[in-house]
Amino acid sequence: MANEDSTWGIAHIHASFNNTIMTITDQTGAETLAKSSGGAVVKQNRDEASPYAAMQMAEKIAETVMEQGVEGVHVRVRGPGGNQQQNPGPGAQAAIRALARAGLEIGRIEDVTPIPHDGTRAPKNSGF
Amino acid sequence: MRVAVTGTPGTGKTTATKRVETDLDIVHLNEVIRTEGLHDGTDDDRGSLLADFDAIDEYLAGKTDLLVESHLAHHFDAERVVVLRCDPETLEERLRERGESSASARENAESEALDVILSEAVTAHGENAVYEIETTHQTPEETARAIEAVIAGDREPSAGTVDYTDYL
Ligand SMILES: Nc1ncnc2c1ncn2[C@@H]1O[C@H](COP(=O)(O)OP(=O)(O)O)[C@@H](O)[C@H]1O
Ligand SMILES: [Mg+2]
Repeated sequence: MANEDSTWGIAHIHASFNNTIMTITDQTGAETLAKSSGGAVVKQNRDEASPYAAMQMAEKIAETVMEQGVEGVHVRVRGPGGNQQQNPGPGAQAAIRALARAGLEIGRIEDVTPIPHDGTRAPKNSGF
Repeated sequence: MRVAVTGTPGTGKTTATKRVETDLDIVHLNEVIRTEGLHDGTDDDRGSLLADFDAIDEYLAGKTDLLVESHLAHHFDAERVVVLRCDPETLEERLRERGESSASARENAESEALDVILSEAVTAHGENAVYEIETTHQTPEETARAIEAVIAGDREPSAGTVDYTDYL
């Protein structure tokens, strides 16, 4: 049997105000196994960040990587996501659920949203 | 009236607001946080002071007719919130030139690409109070005129008018 190194990948979810982008890489992050964005699965610009778009793209991506032998993914979410955001955004949550429904095991889920900063920054838990 | 001018570090808030002609008192909040000691702890990884939001609320309390400029400005009371935007590649270059580490420049550019501050501003104040201004190819003077238009009520609210996700 293959070990976890080859059967697990990392799902990177980038959730911006207008769009959700999802990439699945190998464990090292070096090799991209599948990639899609909200724009690729919905017609209207304003729907690109919607949970529906995230779900559609997650289903396709899950199928693609499972054909390549991937059984599970750790998830890294970056971005506030969507017009009615909670952290992680509704697009990201829908994407994770869709990956699981398609049959991928879900490992660690990390929120690695970048923090705008210069000499000062907002404290943690600043309300968003 | 209170107006907040926010945006990722490097979008040109300080440069532009210094050129804004207005009756509002201009508060460069990052400076005030330092001089008034409105912070509580540090983020050693990023070399940043952690802003003390309660202390800032208190400092701003009772002051009217302000233009508050900072990447934190949208966290406080305001009737109108201007969000300056800048292409992340350009922003990253500017921050490096300003002497920031590449890790800092990169994290700010990624924040800009992901609309982090725009999203926070809309969550806190609603789309009807947010005025997004794309400044990548504007001079600081042009940006200052756009901010004056928001103050004067000559500009419509807007959010989500840019897409920088190609940067990601
Ligand atoms: N409109 C502009 N065009 C080109 N460079 C700019 C412009 N506005 C600001 N800059 C430069 O970008 C850097 C960041 O500007 P600054 O006003 O300090 O941004 P902020 O206050 O939003 O962090 C500075 O080096 C400044 O000279
Ligand atoms: Mg500044």
